[in-house]
Amino acid sequence: MNSKQNYSRLLPYSVIQAAAAGEAVAVNVVLEHYKGYIAKLSLVGGKDPDGNTRVYADDELRRRLETKLICKILTFRVE
Amino acid sequence: MGVAHRISGERGRKVSPAFAVAKGGEKMKPQSHDDVSRIFDAFCKKVLRNEVRDYLDEMNRKNNREIPFSALPVEAMEQFSSYDRYFTEERTFRILGCTVYVDDADLAEAIAALPKDKQDIILLFYFLEMSDYEIAKRLNILRRSVTYRRNSTLKLLKELIGGNADEQ
Repeated sequence: MNSKQNYSRLLPYSVIQAAAAGEAVAVNVVLEHYKGYIAKLSLVGGKDPDGNTRVYADDELRRRLETKLICKILTFRVE
Repeated sequence: MGVAHRISGERGRKVSPAFAVAKGGEKMKPQSHDDVSRIFDAFCKKVLRNEVRDYLDEMNRKNNREIPFSALPVEAMEQFSSYDRYFTEERTFRILGCTVYVDDADLAEAIAALPKDKQDIILLFYFLEMSDYEIAKRLNILRRSVTYRRNSTLKLLKELIGGNADEQ
């Protein structure tokens, strides 16, 4: 893994600092950054009575994750 | 010197002296902005993973405790419903300080059509479940006449209700 790729996958320090301080623009950047991960986590799979595997995106869960992330970003302490 | 620096890490792994200060699992003081980025990334991912687990636990708990309305047995459903009673005036009779409610419309109509003294006997006997003797004492008449009037009133009622049934 080269360092350039590594950097692109992490949020820059300035954004984290601003987001933790509660700046809306920065929080939005963070949300956008984890959008894919949230979408992946929102996929809920289960077997229906017929035994077929059914995977669907749980919109409620996605919203909960976004809300939770916003709440928790604000508690992050940047040393 | 060599012995002094051989500090073993977790699971007996030998840790080189340079990293002996910061073992894994400790709260790491971020050294650079890059570290902050990594810590923040791990923090966010952990928050999200835990939230998913909370959500799934919650759903399971709900599934175990909640029953959809459609799956409720009929008896349980009836507890939630109530029926309005209309026209109660026409179907209630006051007798010796008690209020008697007659459910069946035809029967109520027939009883209402009876003369007052016969009505009283029917209501006392069949709705308040008093014996002929008790009724006789309350109404100051002979027990024998209570029995007689009750039987004759029953016949009358039968005619009244039968007449209604024929009309329908």
